[in-house]
Amino acid sequence: MADQLVIEHLSKVYERGEVLALNDISFTVKKGEFLVVIGLSGSGKSTLLRCINRLIEPTAGKVYFDGVDVTAASSRQLLRIRRQMGMIFQQFNLVKRSSVLTNVLAGRLGYVNPWLSAIHRFPQADMDLAMKNLDRVAIRDQAYKRADELSGGQQQRVGIARALMQEPQLLMADEPVSALDPATSHSVMKYLEQMNQEDGVTVIASLHFLSLARRYGTRILALKDGEIVFEGLPDEIDEARFKEIYGEEAEHVEVR
Amino acid sequence: MAKKPNTLKSGKSRGPFASWKTRFGAFLVDWALWGYIAYGTMYLLNYYWYTNIHYYGRLTVPTWGWPIVVLGTMELAALTHAFTQSIGLSMFGLRVLTPEYRFPSVSARLRRYLWWQLSMIALPVSLVKREFRAQLLHGRMSGTGIFLKKEVGDEMPIPVPRAWYMTNRGVFAVMLIVVTVWVGWLSTEINLHSLATRASKTSYLWKAFTAPNFTHMFTPDPELVVGANPDLPASIFTGLIQSLFMALLATGIGGIIAFPLSFLGARNMMGFSRLGWAVYWVMRGLFNMVRSIEALLWGIIAALWVGFGPFAGVMALSVHTIAALGKLYSEQVEGIDPGPLEAIAASGGRRWQVILYGVIPQIIPSFLAFTLYRWDINLRMATVIALVGGGGIGRVLFYYKGQVGRIDSAWNQVAAVIVIIVIVVWFLDYVSGRVREKIN
Repeated sequence: MADQLVIEHLSKVYERGEVLALNDISFTVKKGEFLVVIGLSGSGKSTLLRCINRLIEPTAGKVYFDGVDVTAASSRQLLRIRRQMGMIFQQFNLVKRSSVLTNVLAGRLGYVNPWLSAIHRFPQADMDLAMKNLDRVAIRDQAYKRADELSGGQQQRVGIARALMQEPQLLMADEPVSALDPATSHSVMKYLEQMNQEDGVTVIASLHFLSLARRYGTRILALKDGEIVFEGLPDEIDEARFKEIYGEEAEHVEVR
Repeated sequence: MAKKPNTLKSGKSRGPFASWKTRFGAFLVDWALWGYIAYGTMYLLNYYWYTNIHYYGRLTVPTWGWPIVVLGTMELAALTHAFTQSIGLSMFGLRVLTPEYRFPSVSARLRRYLWWQLSMIALPVSLVKREFRAQLLHGRMSGTGIFLKKEVGDEMPIPVPRAWYMTNRGVFAVMLIVVTVWVGWLSTEINLHSLATRASKTSYLWKAFTAPNFTHMFTPDPELVVGANPDLPASIFTGLIQSLFMALLATGIGGIIAFPLSFLGARNMMGFSRLGWAVYWVMRGLFNMVRSIEALLWGIIAALWVGFGPFAGVMALSVHTIAALGKLYSEQVEGIDPGPLEAIAASGGRRWQVILYGVIPQIIPSFLAFTLYRWDINLRMATVIALVGGGGIGRVLFYYKGQVGRIDSAWNQVAAVIVIIVIVVWFLDYVSGRVREKIN
């Protein structure tokens, strides 16, 4: 399989706090992989994901997506690249006061006629697609409710439906289940797995729990203090590696 | 995350000392406070001079006196800085300590104060040489330095706990309050004697309230004009209607103009580029400047521009509304949840699509609430904008006030107008309060 995403010597320094969030990160992601990024809070997981679509501007290094240099893209090119990368977030990042349907349609903004979107008009095909995607994450009946009326798990499914609207090649999930309880976590992760296996979408997900990473990941990347400390298959993480990633005092916490 | 050590840009270690900017800021605060006390003292001396010694004289400071005052307050600031935990030091979270994080001895503090004199002479050199900025001459010579409390952390020595009025800051604060109240009392000519003895002067007005005269409530008073046409007599009612619409239009016009401007004045919308920051600061400055000029003052300008009448009133209120709502709106924009913006940008949305789909749905309710609130304020302003020629019910009020001494019932007419204003303002205040509750 071809390398879909190539990261070369990526670094990020936050000026204000003089903090080195990412330090010379290099790795590749193949088409169709389910890559899980693990690490403690503040290890640089979120920064890494946001540097890939340049929500955060990297300080140094290169990101190639399908052979295109993302870091050198003009703002117009960047819009085209971004619409191929879906993203879901820890805090769901929905507009709470807008309806579920509006939130889902917002995922299509990169494709639609900008003038029509300015007056909140979407083509019928997109409306149908939105309903289809809501159906897929089993919340079609909630389409006209306000987003904040939904439970946490349902809100994250709205987030997934919004990402599906982009018909993405790559899906980035930034701690998608950290704000959810364990039972709901699995239902959300299963939708990601489904996208990965049925639609062939490459998934990069950052997760807190090793158990979730082992269950869903085809490959694992571990970050510590902005550096890669492990890269390999889920089974290769033994007790020693675990301590290395999470520190000596860490205990196993399972999410079943 | 790895944190870089506390280094200077040149790469050399700054040591644990606070940056010269915070130290300088703390010093300026103390200097200014001593300057304030010096001014207050001179005011009081002056007052004593012309009330008790020489009525026609003024106690003036000779030209050569001013440098002495400036230098004297500077010395006082340096003394408080060296010997006490002053207000300036506290404001910036600073402490004077030895490099071992202990409180310096009295002799070290005295040396610090004495060497400080030389330090000030050598100040230009110290500011140019980066390494000296960390610890000036007087710090080096006395073995003391100013440290940031939060960087010293747990090693911070714990001072002897004292009641607030026994601390240096407490004593100084009491001094500030005494000077402020004393000078303020004399300056504003507060006079308890007239307060107690002249109450009867208002009795006409209070009596009039028992019999307000509503003759011209709807019947036009042939002498009274509220608009530009001198041949169109007005009643209290026509004045009221004019004021209501003045407030409504001013709020509408102001709100519509403030809406787009508020995005230009919001940090999170503009902080992406140098140009953005420039626009942000210009907008912020404009909002604050225009807002700080009261609507009544804008009324003077408007009346000069378009002539006396309600149009001038609308203009004045609109200008003030733009600035006031612009500031309130932009603070709302700054307070929004950035998550949805990030999500829409990540899916390939353009900047304005992010605003349209991410920002606007979040701010609409609070914008509406603030606009209603502003309408309240504008209505109250519309009742007095006539003072500078803005028309409306205020014109009616000031007309009848002007007739006192000419018409017997003038006070009763004034009372009638005030009653109407109170009822209408109270009612609309209530309505807009209820509507604001419903929003959100």
